[in-house]
Parts: sequence; structure tokens; C-alpha cells
Amino acid sequence: MAETSDDAPDHDEESTLAESPWVAPERSPVTVAAHNLRMRYKVPRTDRTPRKGIAAKLLPRKHMVAVAAVRGVDLTVREGEFVGIIGRNGSGKSTLLRMLAGIEPPTSGVVLTSARPQLLGVSAALMGELTGAENIKLGFLALGMTPDEADGKFEAAAELSALGDAVDLPMRTYSSGMGARLKFAISVMAEPKILMIDEALSTGDATFAERSKRKMDEMLGAAGTVFMVNHGAKTIENMCSRAIWMEKGRIVMDGDTFDVTKRYRSFAYRMAQNREEEAMEYLRDAFEEGAEQRAASRLTSPDGASEVRSGLPGRGPDPFTGIFTQETAARRFPGGRSDSSTNS
Amino acid sequence: MANEVKSSGEVIRALEARGHDASALSPIGVRPNLGEYLALLWGRRHFIWFDSRHRAANQNSRNRLGNLWLVLRPLLDAAAYYVIFGYILKTDRGLENFPAFLLIGVLMFRSTTTAISSGANSMRGSRSMIKAFTFPRASIPISNALQSALTAVYTMLAMCAAIVVVPPFALPQMTWLLLVPIFLLHTLVNLGITLITARIGFYFPDLSNMMSVIGRFLMYGSGVMFPISHFLNPGLFMDIITLNPLFRIIDMARTALIDGAVPDLGSWLVVLAWGVLLTVGGFLFFWSKEANYGRDLG
Repeated sequence: MAETSDDAPDHDEESTLAESPWVAPERSPVTVAAHNLRMRYKVPRTDRTPRKGIAAKLLPRKHMVAVAAVRGVDLTVREGEFVGIIGRNGSGKSTLLRMLAGIEPPTSGVVLTSARPQLLGVSAALMGELTGAENIKLGFLALGMTPDEADGKFEAAAELSALGDAVDLPMRTYSSGMGARLKFAISVMAEPKILMIDEALSTGDATFAERSKRKMDEMLGAAGTVFMVNHGAKTIENMCSRAIWMEKGRIVMDGDTFDVTKRYRSFAYRMAQNREEEAMEYLRDAFEEGAEQRAASRLTSPDGASEVRSGLPGRGPDPFTGIFTQETAARRFPGGRSDSSTNS
Repeated sequence: MANEVKSSGEVIRALEARGHDASALSPIGVRPNLGEYLALLWGRRHFIWFDSRHRAANQNSRNRLGNLWLVLRPLLDAAAYYVIFGYILKTDRGLENFPAFLLIGVLMFRSTTTAISSGANSMRGSRSMIKAFTFPRASIPISNALQSALTAVYTMLAMCAAIVVVPPFALPQMTWLLLVPIFLLHTLVNLGITLITARIGFYFPDLSNMMSVIGRFLMYGSGVMFPISHFLNPGLFMDIITLNPLFRIIDMARTALIDGAVPDLGSWLVVLAWGVLLTVGGFLFFWSKEANYGRDLG
């Protein structure tokens, strides 16, 4: 990973060691480009510290704090790439995906896509009162099919979802895995050019995992692009051609699946062992290593004389790495330390 | 940074300068212009129709009596008002068919309050659909308005039947057919209101708490339970009330169903103007925030 020269968006995948992951073509048109994406949320934060006195009791305990979910992401993805996004809970993976899918507009930044992405998330039932079959129809129509097209694809979707007779039960009775399967079937049958999967498949069983993998490879073969979010490195390693590790709303590393997931695993292992300081140390190193790649993927205007500069000259390491040091020291909720304002 | 890239055009040029093929890219997560948006919406007409039909058919599916409530609930409502205003308060002085008067007022009024409150809850209620699929978001309030209209068809039929079977047993007349255009105009007004409350309700869900107060004012201002002329003298207040589209709609329906007469042209024009104004204005009002309805506002 240190030699970032061949780690530019159009690097080749020949070096991939594992056998089963998807291999992306060497050159293909760009399907998703994101520049300097940021997302901030205003959320209420409740102060739990015990307080004495009447005045203190009457004062509002809730303060609105701004939480930065994604803090500047640059990304260029091409046709035929299978991108896995890993990271801990709350690292901004899902938010990033929602912005790339056009579901939520970013606070700032630009997203360009070559087609309407289809996002598959772990949400509640589509329409709980309707049966699975009716939801398939509704989903197809929502995606812009005519009733005839929807009827024509219905059987195949029901088949892919592998719900059997349950397809005629109200969707509110479904388990989360069944719901995810149904939504996957709807999304894939609509033949999106860009598919984004947010943990949705992790609830499915082994049979479905196999079936969905085959379907996705089919899609990729037909000049599609797939994004997959998962907090487990294994799924990504087994399927994707490229991996992105996110932490605190920033990209730590972006590149070859094997390299990135290996680093992420080492980090996650240290976290699981409760060796937090060591893990943070490791994370900071990984982040500094990824700095060059991030700088290279950052889009700059071609009008200027300077070509892509490597690193950040004159600024030393990215000041953002400081956040990991701080975290080791204080271990506080990240939202708590960003600018907060009281709502009276 | 000196060479900061900001607009989507600059992003494409920057990508191409690096040897990428970025020709197919276009911005996402931004509001389409009005023409494109209308075309997209037209493309989703099957979705809107399917959605509204199934919503209408399933709205009572958790009740034991199921869709019997479509006619039962409005009739029970009307009966309750009849007991209060007919027997106890005796507001029926001078009206020959007070049951019909009350039925029409209560039932037509209800269809508008349903439109307001279903609009206010529509965007948050359909959150999982919004997050799962990309479609023009106006499909949702439109589908909600259509659902209310489909429900109201049953209410209107029940209303006509009740007028016939409740004393003094009015018989259907030719003018009853005018209920159809009146109903269509009413639906247009409701659609406009739904589009407006859909956007407000998404950003300000507290609206549903204020609904009962707004509804109360609207109710007394529309002459739902008693003839307004009994209580108000001609003047500014009366003028305001006669401009109220709901008052006009109810009044027109009463003219056609009870008096067996054709409502005057002025009423038709006032209601039509309101319907067009509310729907066009409401649509623009809703569309201007199109890109934001996928946001989680907590």
C-alpha cells in the first residue's frame, strides 16, 4: 500500500491474491464521482450528569450538537468495479452511500453518477400491510416500470427472493432477512447500472448469499458498478475488487481489497482485544499511509499549472490524524467535541 | 487550495484531465427542473395509482369490520352530530331537511380534514419507500390525496343513500348528478392542501398536533353543522366565509342534493379558482424541496 503510484483510480487488479473476488476491468468509464463530500447532522444530545437545585432542573438538558458524519470524501469509481466499504459502526459508511445514491443531498460537495443508483438498505418493511408480492409490484412501479414490465419480471423476482409461499403474507410479518431478500430481488430485477448495498445482505442466509453473489457478478459483467457496505472484512474480501476503509467520516485507505482489509482486520483485532491505544496508534499510521492516495484522488482543476501533488507539501501529516491521538487521550463521543449550540 | 473544484462541470473536466471517461456523468441528489419533474411524475402514474388503490383498500385491514368502516365511520359521525345539533341544541330551526343538511356538511368536511392530516403524515409515514427507491417524491402526497378521494367515493355513496332512507325521505333528483363535478373540484382542492401539508409536515411534524385546532376553526367557518346565515349578519366576516372554498363546496352540494337546484356560477368559479391555485401553488411549494425528502430529520 505504501507505493501509491499504481494506486490511482485506474490501478490494475492483477495482484489480487484471493481467488473468488471480482476482478475489475483495467479501463472503463467513470460511473460514480464524488468530490469533497461532507455531511453534518444537527442532533439533540442529552446531558446525563446529575444536577442539583431547582434552577438546574428547569434548564433544558438537551442541546443540539452538530455531528459530522462524513468529513470530506473524494471518490472515483468506474464501470465494473465492486467496491467494498468497511469501517466500524458510526464511521460514516451508510451516510456516504446515501449521498452517493442521491437519497440525501450532501451538506457540501458534488456527486456525479452515470445512472440512478439503486440503494439497498436495512430499513423497515416497505409497506407492512401489503403482501410480499404486492410489494414487489409496488417497488417495480416505483422504479418506473410499466405494469406489463412489472408483471413480466414478477416471477423472476419472487424466485430470486426465495420466499416461497411467504410471498403472499403481509410484509410486516417478515423477518429482517426475508425483507432484505425481497428488497434485493426487487432492486436487482430492475437492472440498475449502479447498485449500492448497505449491510442488507448480511441478514440473509448462506443459500441466499451464494445466489446474490452470482447475481451481482452478472451485473458487474454487464458493465455495472456495485458498492457494498459491511463492517466485517471477510465478506468484502471474498467479493470486492476494491476496498475503502472509513473511520470518523474520512477515508483511511482506499485501494486493493486484500491490502485494505488486511490492515482493517489488524485494527479491528486490536480493538476487540481491548488494546485501544495500540489500535488507535495503528489507525493513525494507516491513515498517514493513505494520505498520499487521498491527495491523489482529490480532484483539482486542470486549468492550474500544478499537476497532482503527492502528499500535502509544507503541512506535514494531515492534521486530521490528531483526532485519533485525542481519542486515545479522552475517549469521548466525537459529536460531543464539535461545535455545539444550546437551543433555548 | 488554488485549484479547488466546486461545480459538477469542473469535476467532469478534472476527471477528463486525468484520462478518465467521464462523459456519462450527471449530478445526482439535486432537484430536477419543473419540466423534467413533471415528465418523471407522469412516468410514475402507474405507481401512484397502484399505491393509492392499495392504501385505500388496506387502511382498515387491522380492524375486525374491515372496509365496512369506509361507510360506517362517516355515518356514525353524522349520527353523533345529529343527536347534538338536531335534538339537543335544536339548530334545525327553519330547515326542512336537517338530517340531510348535517350529513352533507359533516361528510364532505371530513374528506378535507383527512386530506390535511394524511398529507401532514405522508412523507414521514412513507420513509421506508423513500429510502428504498428513487422516484419523484410528489408521488406520495398525490397518492395520498387519491387514496382519500377513493375513500370519499364510498362516503359520498353512503351519504346519498342515507339522505334517501332517513326521514324526511328525499328522493333522488337530476341535480344529484352535479355531485360528481362538485366532488372532482373538492378532490382538486384537497390535492392542493395535501401537497402543502406534506412539505410542512415533513419539516414540522408538530403540525399534526395543531390539526385539531385548525380543523375546529375550519369546521365552524364552513357552516358544517348549522346554516351560517342564522348566526352571522352580512358584513366583512360573512364575506370572508363565503370565500372559503370548503363553505362553497358544502353549500353547492346542499343546493344540488336538498334543494334540487343548480348551484350558481359564482360558486363554481370560486371553487375552481381555489382548486387550481392550491394545486399549482402546492405543487411548486412541494417540488422546491424535492431533493431533501430523503433526509432523516429525527
